Amino acid sequence: MNDFFGKIVELFSTPTYIDSLLHGFLLTIQVSYFAILIGITLGTVIALIDTAKPSKWLVVPKFICRLYTTIIRGTPMALQLFIMFFVIFAIKGFPSIITAIIAFGLNSAAYAAEVIRGGILSVDKGQTEAGLALGLSQRTIFFKIVAPQAIKNIIPALGNEIITVIKETAIVSMVGMYDLNMAAKDIGSGQNMASYIVPMFTAAMFYLATIYLISFVVKKIEKSLRKSDLRVEG
Amino acid sequence: MEDSTELIVKNLHKSFGKNKVINGINFKLTEGERVVILGPSGSGKSTFLRCINWMEEPTSGQIYLDGELVTEKNIRKIRRNIGMVFQHFNLISNMTVMENLLLAPVKLKVMRRDAAEKRARELLKHIGLLSKADAYPASLSGGQKQRVAIVRAMMMSPEVLLFDEPTSALDPESIGDVLSLIRELADHGMTIMIVTHEMSFAKEIATRVVFIDKGKIIEEGSPKEFFDHPKTPRVKEFLKKVL
Repeated sequence: MNDFFGKIVELFSTPTYIDSLLHGFLLTIQVSYFAILIGITLGTVIALIDTAKPSKWLVVPKFICRLYTTIIRGTPMALQLFIMFFVIFAIKGFPSIITAIIAFGLNSAAYAAEVIRGGILSVDKGQTEAGLALGLSQRTIFFKIVAPQAIKNIIPALGNEIITVIKETAIVSMVGMYDLNMAAKDIGSGQNMASYIVPMFTAAMFYLATIYLISFVVKKIEKSLRKSDLRVEG
Repeated sequence: MEDSTELIVKNLHKSFGKNKVINGINFKLTEGERVVILGPSGSGKSTFLRCINWMEEPTSGQIYLDGELVTEKNIRKIRRNIGMVFQHFNLISNMTVMENLLLAPVKLKVMRRDAAEKRARELLKHIGLLSKADAYPASLSGGQKQRVAIVRAMMMSPEVLLFDEPTSALDPESIGDVLSLIRELADHGMTIMIVTHEMSFAKEIATRVVFIDKGKIIEEGSPKEFFDHPKTPRVKEFLKKVL
């Protein structure tokens, strides 16, 4: 037990260890942030194509979107990461962080698309019909009626997807990137502290705190969006 | 075209996949008429009503409003002149009552915002719901929602108002409120088509009754003829069951 507390003191009083942890944490956040940005943007595009009224112009795009989500969701993230690193971006000197961001972004897009698609489809058809009957355009109906209602259904599940991406980026350590997970392993290794328990628990705390903060923000947003559902006024 | 004929439906057909719901309906509606559409469930009476403003796109046949053929191109413009009231109200749930009323007239530039708001307030006051102007639909009762939905349709000053089973989702007490509002519109000369199961209301309000079965008009006539002297065995059988 004494040794455990000793290790805590050692970790937090050694600047190089703290530096390594923060560097790892920064990489985790960078990869997650940009991957989520790509994921939500591309996911929205896919979901919009997927839920659009069928027409001859959309036959091919709709097929591509279905195929894309099927392939991404049907293969392991770690394998997709390997393919990005060792096949598609196996270019000498290509920044690994960009490769990782693309790999996680493309993966997240497929899941975000499903979440957004589900949210759009969950809006009662009567809401669209009311808009149509009044002579409103499809565009107005989408932006004024369907999208605001869909977002309420999408936010909680999308929050979940963001959390998943942050945790999943830990596998970049498999391709030698120095993220938070890798930093913990490095600090705990024989050349450094020669004990994994404290650095790994510390890394866990970093993840936990980040994810807790995100859940908190998502809950807040969710609550403010629900105001039109309240049965009583005010 | 003949004056005061608002709506003409020619040889209307509608199928959902292999299921033929409307099998050749011909129909005319004159200004000021109040047509009640009756028929057993699954007869196609709601589908017929929904084909008129292309909530369901007809499989074949033509619809003319004021002599103008309804097409994919002009349907949006046509819809401004055809109000519709739904069984499940369909108030926009992310908008307040006032926003529901202002949405179409302001967005489609039928009225200026201040004029639209003034009219909305008058109409809400008239139905006793002015205090609910800033409330969201979720806080309204079914009857209140439906009366707001009727007012929303009236905001566009339509030529024809279509009612698709407007009281079927309501409790008995609210039904009275909604029916008296429809009655009031009728008294003001509004042209109305209504699909309903309220027989006594049909008898009272209709200038003409249309009976649909298996996607065809079987019989039509004045409410007196229809209810007291039905001509076809199918209508006789129907009335025996429902009256």
